[in-house]
Amino acid sequence: MIEMRDVSVVYSGGVDALHHVNLRINDGDFAFVVGPSGAGKSTMIKLILKEINPSSGSIFVNGYNLNKLRRRRIPALRRTIGFVFQDFRLIPSMTVYENIAFVMRVIDAPPKYIKKRVSYVINLVGLSDKARNYPNELSGGEMQRVAIARALVNDPQLIIADEPTGNIDPEMSYEIVELLQSINEIGTTILMVTHEHNLVRQFGGRIININQGQIVFDEIVGGNLINES
Amino acid sequence: MRASGVRYLLGQGVENIWKNRMMAFASFCVLMISLLLVGISVLFFINITSMVGGLEDKNEVIIYLQEDTTDMEISDLYGQLSRMDNIAEVTFYSKEESFEDLKSSMSDYEMLFDSLGDDNPLIDAYRIRVADISRMDETLAQIGALEHIEHVRAPLDLVQILTELRRIITMVCGVIILALIIISIVIIANTTKASVFSRRAEIQIMKYVGATNAFIRFPFFVEGMITGLLAGVGALAVTWLGYDAMIDLLTQETTFMSIFGMTSIVPFEDAVMPVTIAYLGAGTLFGALGTVFAIRKHLNV
Ligand SMILES: Nc1ncnc2c1ncn2[C@@H]1O[C@H](COP(=O)(O)OP(=O)(O)OP(=O)(O)O)[C@@H](O)[C@H]1O
Ligand SMILES: [Mg+2]
Repeated sequence: MIEMRDVSVVYSGGVDALHHVNLRINDGDFAFVVGPSGAGKSTMIKLILKEINPSSGSIFVNGYNLNKLRRRRIPALRRTIGFVFQDFRLIPSMTVYENIAFVMRVIDAPPKYIKKRVSYVINLVGLSDKARNYPNELSGGEMQRVAIARALVNDPQLIIADEPTGNIDPEMSYEIVELLQSINEIGTTILMVTHEHNLVRQFGGRIININQGQIVFDEIVGGNLINES
Repeated sequence: MRASGVRYLLGQGVENIWKNRMMAFASFCVLMISLLLVGISVLFFINITSMVGGLEDKNEVIIYLQEDTTDMEISDLYGQLSRMDNIAEVTFYSKEESFEDLKSSMSDYEMLFDSLGDDNPLIDAYRIRVADISRMDETLAQIGALEHIEHVRAPLDLVQILTELRRIITMVCGVIILALIIISIVIIANTTKASVFSRRAEIQIMKYVGATNAFIRFPFFVEGMITGLLAGVGALAVTWLGYDAMIDLLTQETTFMSIFGMTSIVPFEDAVMPVTIAYLGAGTLFGALGTVFAIRKHLNV
């Protein structure tokens, strides 16, 4: 669960990136975050990950009060969150399997469990036959599916994807959102930032529109038919 | 942390060295040379100190006694001198003995002594050796306070030269060692920096998935410490071989031997334990320290 109460962010240069934002995303939700460039979408994600602190207001994520969370407890918070980057960020020298197993090892997961769990998520994203391939042998869509498997493997309560479809073909984008939705159906909360209004229109669901640091629209809309307000 | 985690991190540390092998090798070499120079400075220092110590041991203070001192008082004085803590050795040097010595040293002028007959113009004395010549003044003052002493002759020039020599040697060696330690740490820090850079993608992912700072840092630590340890082993081997070769050479150098004496060279076998511990310890420590500085600056976790 994510809750922001009256959150503002002013960057050191004086940029007013978020302005008195109130937001609540419940466990099991699927929400799109849309808005023009520079609106404050990435800023919001950085707040959730406690990469930055708000200038004012309070933030709660997965049971942690981020205003009171000490630096050395940040890893505990982040273990409840899976993150998907726009540019995948796979390690080129590791196979698909290793890329995913890696993030389990670095949180000191039991080796036996790692094998089972990695095979499971690779299967879930439909890449069982590519487990031994290296990232440069994959298409953009496949790489992003590996990145999603990696975000999922530590069984987070929440997956955040910052423009996960930004670097891949439109047809592939559709698959990626479908994949995220199927993960959401298993019970993981999903927050997906995107520029692609078409995609959002097709799928529908909860849409949070940010503009100039403020939430200008936050509603559940039906798929396909609806126009953006 | 579970055992598999520790194994994994150690493995990552070793892998770091391999991935970063050019830098690792360069820093191994520089660190080994630094350690060698530190080691050579220390061994040099130990030997110089030992040689100066050898010279110091040759110090001799002669205490001339008043002519009318009785045998009883002379032996009293012996007790008083031996009890002083800075006096290592006391020998009585009777006027007869010194007369004989004088005669034999001036055998060409025997006639001169003949004219003296049994008349001995010399006086009894004690010869003492001071344990720590830097406390010479204090000891002389103590001796001066005793009774029946005519006068005292002390090798004050020698004391001054040796004390000064010791001070200079200590300072020069200290500066050299300090400089080399700093160089070693900077070199290791640079290697770590390169290693962190080559792994920056992994480090970023690790931060996002909630790896602890310890988990992120540990492989770099291992890398620095292994590099340092290996440099220590290398330096030890080179020092051992070099030192033995040098002793062989010096032993053949007779003038050197006659000045300082064989005993003043410390054989490597005597120093092998401390030297080994120092090299391996210093290598590992510099490796770890360099890494710590680099991690704090570049890893930012
Ligand atoms: N570290 C920073 N220091 C100063 N200003 C920043 C910083 N990061 C972002 N900003 C500014 O804050 C505002 C919001 O940026 P943010 O990255 O949140 O936008 P965004 O909605 O993610 O845009 P995009 O769609 O282009 O990714 C922008 O004006 C940006 O220039
Ligand atoms: Mg952004």
